[in-house]
Amino acid sequence: MEAPVTHPSVTVQRQTTSSKAALTLAALIVLTIPTMPFWASGGYIRWAVELSCLIAIAQMWNLLAGYAGLLSVGQQAFIGAGGYALFVLAGKLGVNPFAAVILSVGLPFVLAIPFYLLLKRLDGPYFAIGTWVVAEALRLLTSNISYVNGGGGLSLRVMAEYSQHQRAIGITILSAVLLLLTVGGTYWLLRSRHGLALTAMRDDPVAAESQGVNVARLRFLIYIAAAAGTGLAGAVYYMAQLRITPESGFDPYWASICIFVVMVGGIGRIEGAIIGALVYFFATRFFGQYGATYLIVLGLLTMFMALYAPGGIWSLLTKIRDWPWFPTARLLVRNR
Amino acid sequence: MSAVLLSVRGLTKSYGVVRVLDRVDLDVYGGEVLGILGPNGAGKTTLFNVISGDIRPQAGTVEYSGAALGDEAPFQRARRGIGRTYQIPRPYAAMTTFENLLVAAMFSAGRRERDAYAHCAAILHDCGIAERANLQAGSLTLLDRKRLELARALAGEPKILLLDEIAGGLTDEESRTLVELVRRIRDKGITIVWIEHVLHAIMAVADRVIVLSFGQKIAEGSPSEVMADPEVRRVYMGIEV
Repeated sequence: MEAPVTHPSVTVQRQTTSSKAALTLAALIVLTIPTMPFWASGGYIRWAVELSCLIAIAQMWNLLAGYAGLLSVGQQAFIGAGGYALFVLAGKLGVNPFAAVILSVGLPFVLAIPFYLLLKRLDGPYFAIGTWVVAEALRLLTSNISYVNGGGGLSLRVMAEYSQHQRAIGITILSAVLLLLTVGGTYWLLRSRHGLALTAMRDDPVAAESQGVNVARLRFLIYIAAAAGTGLAGAVYYMAQLRITPESGFDPYWASICIFVVMVGGIGRIEGAIIGALVYFFATRFFGQYGATYLIVLGLLTMFMALYAPGGIWSLLTKIRDWPWFPTARLLVRNR
Repeated sequence: MSAVLLSVRGLTKSYGVVRVLDRVDLDVYGGEVLGILGPNGAGKTTLFNVISGDIRPQAGTVEYSGAALGDEAPFQRARRGIGRTYQIPRPYAAMTTFENLLVAAMFSAGRRERDAYAHCAAILHDCGIAERANLQAGSLTLLDRKRLELARALAGEPKILLLDEIAGGLTDEESRTLVELVRRIRDKGITIVWIEHVLHAIMAVADRVIVLSFGQKIAEGSPSEVMADPEVRRVYMGIEV
């Protein structure tokens, strides 16, 4: 834990007791995930991997919509791109599949650049529709490329060369890295000087620009970073699934999940995306069997939170006890 | 008189058929306080928005420190020393008062984070909001929000400060407090352009005043000269002379 930053005349506090406890717990969880193949059943390992992917995807969407003000309903473009990059690298080009997961970040990263240059001309709802159109175009394009077996999709047959145990070790390590990069990376970013600018931009982009913040460049960088993080999550998720199709990889349902998770958990807070992901994950596990009824309840819950608790579950919790897990504020504790 | 710091020539801006600025010329001299008066809709805030780069004019030029600002974005103008406040305060509501200042100190003035801490703490103290340093800016009273607007602009270490109705909506006592603050800022050598409806506030500090009406400059001079101008009295105060 870092010590308070001391200046000759002021001291700035950046951690709290609750955050120290939460960060210790978070570090323990990230370190524990790779040990799961040695003590947990396959079912629980699948849970851990899927939950890690869900938290990562939600965290990236939170960064995008909650901080940069870029309301995307097309992040499935990067989930699919990350997934397909993995299957091509490992299945077609012979790259080690575990290394390919990391390398697969390159495709969503590269795709995000022209996508953003195209989409940045659009504002608000037009931007949202634009992201959805881009994702749909990518899905249709992929469905028509014979190299990736068109609409039939691809299987990750190369994984058969590894034992169940080896696969579990590899994918749990990748899940831990994913959490570290997306949640840890977001936390690091938000505590940095760029995070200060990003938080100002979230609250008022016009005022931030007039205080020297290059809002356009920051939005571009966040879009690229969110694409890369989402793509990595897509690669890890589809490595666990061992199969990808354009319909699954570029499924618009991914966008609905992002919106639900972040809206219900708490937009614009790291904690919110984690809480929302936990709510969605366990709700799906325990109530998913009710099909359409379950989806209607999720939709109603999202609307209820938007109307009556726009800050999500996290804001309700902070009203009871303001115990931040991942504080990013700079508190002036002494001013002599 | 000092050299011209900011020069506006032929500034014209229309929204549809409504001409908000009509070939406005003005010079701002280094170290002075220039007051801008005018009825609602005269184009005062639009003038600030053009100078700060928030909107583009249809015609005209803005020169700062002898160089044309051209297409420079607001963040670039802020980094060159053009600071501003907004008529309706625009705090970063979920950030603390202290952090509001840090943004300006680090991005506008280009200070390193650790250097910015003491700088911002000192400005909070000068502006009388040191006790609110750790409060969320969105929870501040109107007076404190106005002080925060000013403090945040100062944290960016501007050479010229554009103040947009900072005394509006305040009680006489509160506006007197702000006038004192503006005086202290002027005494530090910062050039100030101040749009204000609270006449006694601007008359107490301004070296020169210009008056806008329907986008045109109708008067310019010392506060007493401008207040004696029949056209100003008719347009601005509704007094037929």
